[in-house]
Parts: sequence; structure tokens; C-alpha cells
Amino acid sequence: MARIGVFVCHCGENIAGRVDCSKVVLALENHPGVSVATEYKYFCSDPGQEAIKKAVREENLTGVIVAACSPRMHEATFRKACAAAGLNPYLCEIANIREQCSWVHENPDEATRKAIEITRSLVEKVKRNSELHPIEVPVTKRALVIGGGIAGIQAALDIANAGGEVVLVEREASLGGHMAQLSETFPTLDCSQCIMTPRMVEASQHPNIRLLTYSEVEKVEGFIGNFRVRVRLKARYVDPAACTGCGDCMQKCPQKKIPSEFDCGLGKRTAISTPFAQAVPNKPVIDSRYCTYFKNGKCKVCEKVCQTNAINFEMEDEFLDLEIGAIVVATGFQVQDTALYGEYGYGRYADVVTGLQFERLASASGPTAGKVQRPSDGAEPKTVVFIQCAGSRDPAKGVPYCSKICCMYTAKHAMLYAHKNHEAESRIFYMDIRAAGKGYDEFTRRAAEEDNAGYIRGRVSKLWEENGRLVVRGADTLLGRPVEVQADMVVLATAMVPQPDARELAKKLGIGCDDYGFFSEAHMKLRPVETATAGIFLAGACQSPKDIPDSVAQASAAASKVLSLFSRERLEREPVIARNNEATCSGCWGCVLACPFNAIEKKDLTDRSGNVLRRVASVNAGLCQGCGTCVTFCRSNSIDLAGFSEKQLFAEVMGL
Amino acid sequence: MSLQEHYRSQARELLAAGAVKMVVGYAEGTTPERRRPVFITEPEECSRLVLDARCRTNLAGYLLREGLLSDGREIAVYLSTEGVRTINILAAESQLSSAQVRILGFEIDRDEVKAMEGKRAADFSEAILAHKERRKKQAPDELAAKLEAMNAAERFTFWQGEFSRCIKCYACRQACPMCWCRRCVVDNNQPQWVNTSSHTLGNLEWNLVRAFHLAGRCVECGNCGRACPVDIPLHLLNRKMTGEVLEAFDHYPGMDEHQEPALASFRKDDPETFIL
Repeated sequence: MARIGVFVCHCGENIAGRVDCSKVVLALENHPGVSVATEYKYFCSDPGQEAIKKAVREENLTGVIVAACSPRMHEATFRKACAAAGLNPYLCEIANIREQCSWVHENPDEATRKAIEITRSLVEKVKRNSELHPIEVPVTKRALVIGGGIAGIQAALDIANAGGEVVLVEREASLGGHMAQLSETFPTLDCSQCIMTPRMVEASQHPNIRLLTYSEVEKVEGFIGNFRVRVRLKARYVDPAACTGCGDCMQKCPQKKIPSEFDCGLGKRTAISTPFAQAVPNKPVIDSRYCTYFKNGKCKVCEKVCQTNAINFEMEDEFLDLEIGAIVVATGFQVQDTALYGEYGYGRYADVVTGLQFERLASASGPTAGKVQRPSDGAEPKTVVFIQCAGSRDPAKGVPYCSKICCMYTAKHAMLYAHKNHEAESRIFYMDIRAAGKGYDEFTRRAAEEDNAGYIRGRVSKLWEENGRLVVRGADTLLGRPVEVQADMVVLATAMVPQPDARELAKKLGIGCDDYGFFSEAHMKLRPVETATAGIFLAGACQSPKDIPDSVAQASAAASKVLSLFSRERLEREPVIARNNEATCSGCWGCVLACPFNAIEKKDLTDRSGNVLRRVASVNAGLCQGCGTCVTFCRSNSIDLAGFSEKQLFAEVMGL
Repeated sequence: MSLQEHYRSQARELLAAGAVKMVVGYAEGTTPERRRPVFITEPEECSRLVLDARCRTNLAGYLLREGLLSDGREIAVYLSTEGVRTINILAAESQLSSAQVRILGFEIDRDEVKAMEGKRAADFSEAILAHKERRKKQAPDELAAKLEAMNAAERFTFWQGEFSRCIKCYACRQACPMCWCRRCVVDNNQPQWVNTSSHTLGNLEWNLVRAFHLAGRCVECGNCGRACPVDIPLHLLNRKMTGEVLEAFDHYPGMDEHQEPALASFRKDDPETFIL
């Protein structure tokens, strides 16, 4: 015989202000199976929980209903209290009479009536609840880090230094990401490559890090602690084990005029190449889109000059299957397509460049060896105009957000330029200067006060060429008049946007994206590095625009989440999983098709001598996430969900 | 030689050579207009096999009798295009292996029986494709057109009237080759989702649940309607569902044995017109 306890919470005025809780208690008191019904101001408080525990012990309850707020709030609290009193926690259910009742209804009588109905239906459900016990699953202590920029490298190093195994996957031929392309970094002006390359080397040589460059994540299955990941190792056509990185092949390659992606099209590269001189690993790959042999079937010059026979034109993509416990996504960003800004003349005028291109021009490893020259004629520009928010904070172009780094890097550009060319003049069109960060505001002031950066508050409306120079027309909103500036070069602080294939990766991983395509965190304030999918964490600009200090900090935060997961031998999981009735299952595998977690396997039913009689579906308790998709698909109702069984739900509905 | 004779001799040969262990076909029924299924295992019995325009029953469902195909041997069966599509669906739903089904294909065109060339379900893909195209253009019959013209309330009254005759004999389910569940949802009484008594609510529940379970699977063979002892026009429900699935997802059930079920497959360009 059921002995159910019903505890109606006032939640201060939140519930009691609309629902007559005494009436709810009265109505439930005499409901069949209810032993005790009572009300209290705050059942989530210590005395409230004590009251529930006491009732469980004294009345020897077989089930508990707390009529209160949403189960998302305090289900765990009350289940723990019941467990402490000796009742299986899954025999405690929450009747939500706040979010679904008192908060959304005006009329007290009707709200009270609805609260009674909700509570009564849960009583009917809990009568049919059975004890459930948590499922334990092992943890694979190996992390996958996707993306080998500064965020990915930092996360990988932190995990590896704490003893965790790491597989670091980078889709380009070298580690480094965007940070490797930068000249100097704000606010200290230390050389980006000088601080980046030691980290790249450390990551590549770390005994706990397995580095997979020129590789991409193909497929992700499984769940926290037990992911199965397939990685595509793209054909490099160069055997990295044999290659010594001597560079002879790159010198002799006849395809020399390919725009270098690393130099943002300002420099040239060969068809067999490393992205940059300090590449890690320093082993070239052949780009089959440009290679003469792949295009015409003849050439193979690289093969001839290679002294270690490292070139292999027959190479094909390979796949690697990995067992992974946790994933850190650190896939970074892209700069927005400047074609959106016809008025700024990008692509039309060679001397209109993006911020990232300016980084390459100012970088010692860049196409001009650090000398800032106009792309059109190689002349040293005297006046450079910088246009901030070229894309950012412009809802009309689809980027309403602030890209966060542009104010700082534009100030840096003006400074670097002033340091390289003392006669130089910088004009910066800006909307607002956003320089919040340690040493940041001082930095932008220094640009204006010491390095001759002339800030003009206003937007640029038009840009055209006149007598070999660029004319920039804009508004000076502080003086309230239009301005025209003659410039030798224009730098656009283009918006930071997600990687073009971010949504595709999100789908593979089963994580969310915001409207723009940046990956979504589980909670903006309280869980900023977790995704909604357990075991998958975020680091760097793939989540939102970030500078280097923020990316590094978030990478370390993600690493600490991974390490706290790896500190446990086994994980406990909710026992809310599907179960199949083998007697009635017809083996149509509709559930197998429907299951998003590949948690349903085919099982042979055999007679005593081992002959297969028929095959039925069998749920893998470790993989099942309890989503219930299979339940709705099964025509014969052979599959049921523990904790939400059809019997329970039917009783709940009929209790209304 | 008539097709009836031709298939008789083929059946005889197949049985005599041991290529198949049984031939499922049609024989004379209790009245001259009727044909009944017959299960022949001896070559000399093949003279009982009949094939004419009265052979309407879809015989594919008989292959699912438990244990019949478990020895791995082949069975020959008389099938029209609907029957072949049934085999494809049953294979897609892992209820049989199409390699065990030797088909004696035929098509009824008005009052004439024509042969359909092919041995295995996969041989009939062209005929099935032609069927699909024809189905897309097919105009609704008189009653279906009348129903389409009604408003929701009128339609509800119509079906209430029809279902009020239902006696819950489940003949439709027994006759349907797609109703192969080991336990039908109506026989699940823990909980009793579908009311078993034959009053209006229970009857509506049963017939609508069955229509939904057939959505994207029904081949419109008509077995259910012919089996119904109280002449409920069940084919209209299935016809409606088939039309919806065909129009929305270009899904015609039983195209081949690898076809994914309409309700469990997802394409990026699926229309979402039904999402409010």
C-alpha cells in the first residue's frame, strides 16, 4: 500500500500569493494513498527539508511529492533530502505549481484548482515509481583538443602537464593559428611569434600530447568520459617521418605564385610548402589544388630533389579512431568578408587592407620583412587611415556585436607604424574606444599622446582614389562637420566572425551555436566554458570574440574542467534510460535508426544450444541518454523509459 | 499459354527442382467470384493455382508467419506491384530477407492479368517507379473527393458514423501485411492506451492509431478494407496519409529494400510547413 507524503511549498509569496496552499493540502489529504499532506513557507530551507526527512522516517513513506518550483530548481535538493532519510531518491517527484501555475495565472480560485490537479497527477505517478540506482561509467583519461591556436595549445599543455593524455588536432599544416600571423601583441608590444613559438614547440614535444596536424574531426559519438572520435588525417603527400624539413622541395617547386594564406594573400608560396618558417611540425605538405603534377600529371620535381624519399604522390586520407574522455573546442575565428563593404573599396583598391593584412606587413616574418609598404607599388605610406568597426556593431551587415579586439589592435597598428616610420601620420576613424582590460586604456592613450595617432570620432561614408592616393570621406562628429583625409593606405578593422564551418562542427559534436555561429556556453555567467553537452568545453574565440589574454585564460579554465573530470575513476549517471521488452520486440530496428546516441544494439536471442531464434533491440545503458526518442518510435510499445514509464505517465495523465 | 498456365508450370518446376519449398498463390474460393490464398508444397498440387483479375489479395504478409523463413530456404509467391513493394518494406524493416522471396509477378489492368518480369524484388524497380509517378497524378475516387470537400466538423461526423459500426474484430490488422508486431499496441494493457471496448472513443482511437502506424508504410493494397466485415472505407484514411507523405517528403513506400522509413529519416531540405 502506497504511503505518499505531499509537501506544499508557499515559496514565500511566489506560490501562496496566488494559490491557496491550505486548500491544496486539504484536497490531497484524503486522496487514496496519501499518508501525510502539509504546507510550509520554504521547503527548500533547512527546517523545510528536515520536516520532509522527519515525515519520511516517521510515516515510513513510500513516495514524496514536493509541490513547489520547477524541478530544474530543487529536484536535486529534495531527492537528496529523501535519500538522507532512507528513501530512494527516484521516489521523490516535484509538482511544479510555481512556473506552471502560480506565476502564470491571475485568478486565485482557478490557480488553486490547477495546483490541486497537478499535485494529484504527480501522486498518481509516484505511486507507480520504482527504485532506480545510478549507473556508473568509466572515464577515458584522454582529452581531444580541436584547434592548435593559442587557446588549443594552452589547454593541451595544461592538461598534459597535469598528467592527462591529449590529442591535439589542427586542420592546417602547422600549429599556431591566428596568433602566429600577428606582428606584436598589445598591450606590451612583445613579438607574437617570439612568445608563441616556444609554446608550439613545447606542445609538439610534450610526451603526453599527440599532435595531429593537417587533420580534421570527422565524427564524434558517445558521451562524457566515453567519446569515440574519428579523425581524418588529410593526405600530405609528404611522409613526415622521413622528411627532415630541409626545404629543398619548396625551393625547386615550379608553382611559385600561389597567394599565401598565411600572409593573407600579400605574399606568395609554392605548391609544396610550410605555412611559415617556424612551422611546427616543420614539414611541408603538397597542395593538390595547385601542384603541377596533380593538375597535369607531370612534374614531380620535389620527388626528384628530396634526398630522403619523403614525397609520396599516392598518399590518401587516413582515418584514426580515438577513445576520448573530454573534448575542448578551440577552433578560433575568421575575419569577416570585406566584400560586404563596397564603400570602403576593399578588393577594388590594392592599398585598402584588412587589419590582419597589416599585421603581416608589420611582421618581421612577413612578405616585406616588417617594412610597412603599400601593396600597390611598394612605396612607404606617409599617411595611413584606420577605419574601426569595419563590420562590427553594424546590424545591417549581420554583425551587431563588438569584435572586442579592434580598438586595441588599431592603436597598436598606429603605434607600430609610428615606431617604424617617424614621419608617419595615422588617422583613426572610430565609434567608441573600448579599451577595458589591464593596461589597455593606458595603451590607447599612449598611441594618441605619444605616437601621433589622430583619433577622429565618426564613421567613414566613402572612399575613392584620386591622383594615386586614397581619399577618405567621413564625419567628425565631435566637431560636427565632414572631413576628408588623403591617405596612402587604408586599414579596415574587420569584424571577427565564426569559422565558416562552425555550425557543421557543432552538429558533429552535438553542441549549440548562437545566432552568428559562435559556440554556445551552458550558462553565460556561471558555466562559461562548458557547453550544454557534458564533457565538451570551449576555449578561445570560437565562443565569442576574444583577445589573447582572454583566450589563454579560458583555455586554462577549460583544462581545469577536463582535469576535474579526469580526477575521477568513474562517473555516476542518471538511471533514466530506455529498456526494451525482448518478449514483444519484433526487431524492426526503427529504434536503432531513431536513436541519436547510437545506444541501441542488436542482440541475438538463442535457444539452449545457441541457435539464434530471433534478434531484438538491446539498450546500452552506458550510451543511453534517456531522451525517449526510441519510445515514441516503437509501434508495439516495447521500449519504455525508466522513471518516465508509460505506466507512470498514463497514471499521471489520468490523474488530471 | 495463358499466364495462369505459365506460372503453374513455373511453380511446378521450382518445387520439383527444390528451388523453393513452398509456393504461395491463389486458388478457387468458396464462390465463383472469390479467390483464396493457397500454400502449395508438392509439384502435383500446382494445378490448383489460379491467376485472374479476381486475385486481389496481397499475399506478402503470409511470409511472416513465425519460423516460416527461418530455415533460410526460398518461397515463391504471387505478387502484384503492391506486393513487391511490401517485400521491400518488410526487408527494410528486417522482417524478412528478400533473397528468400522468389516472385511470380503480375499486374491487373481492369479485367486482364499481365505478367511482370523479374524474380527478386530488386528486379521490379522500374515498375515501382512508374507506379509512383502514376500515384502522384491519380485523382481521388468519388468518396475521397467528397471527404476532401468537407470541413473538419463534417469529416469528423462522417468518420464517427463509420467507426460507430466498428466491432473491434481487428480483421484489418490481421489482414494487413504491415501489422507484423509481435504484440500490437492495443494488446498492451499496462497501460491501456487504446480503449478495447467498441464504443466511439475506443473505435476512433484504434483506427487512428493504426492509420498513423501505417503512415509512410502503407502500399494501398486494400487488404484491410476487403477484410472489414462492416465495410468501413479504411483505405481512405491510408490513402490520405500516403498522399501527405508523398507530397511532403516525396516518400513512396517500398521503392527498394534500403529505403529509410519516412518517420525516422531526416533530410536538411525536409519541408516544415506543419510546424507552427
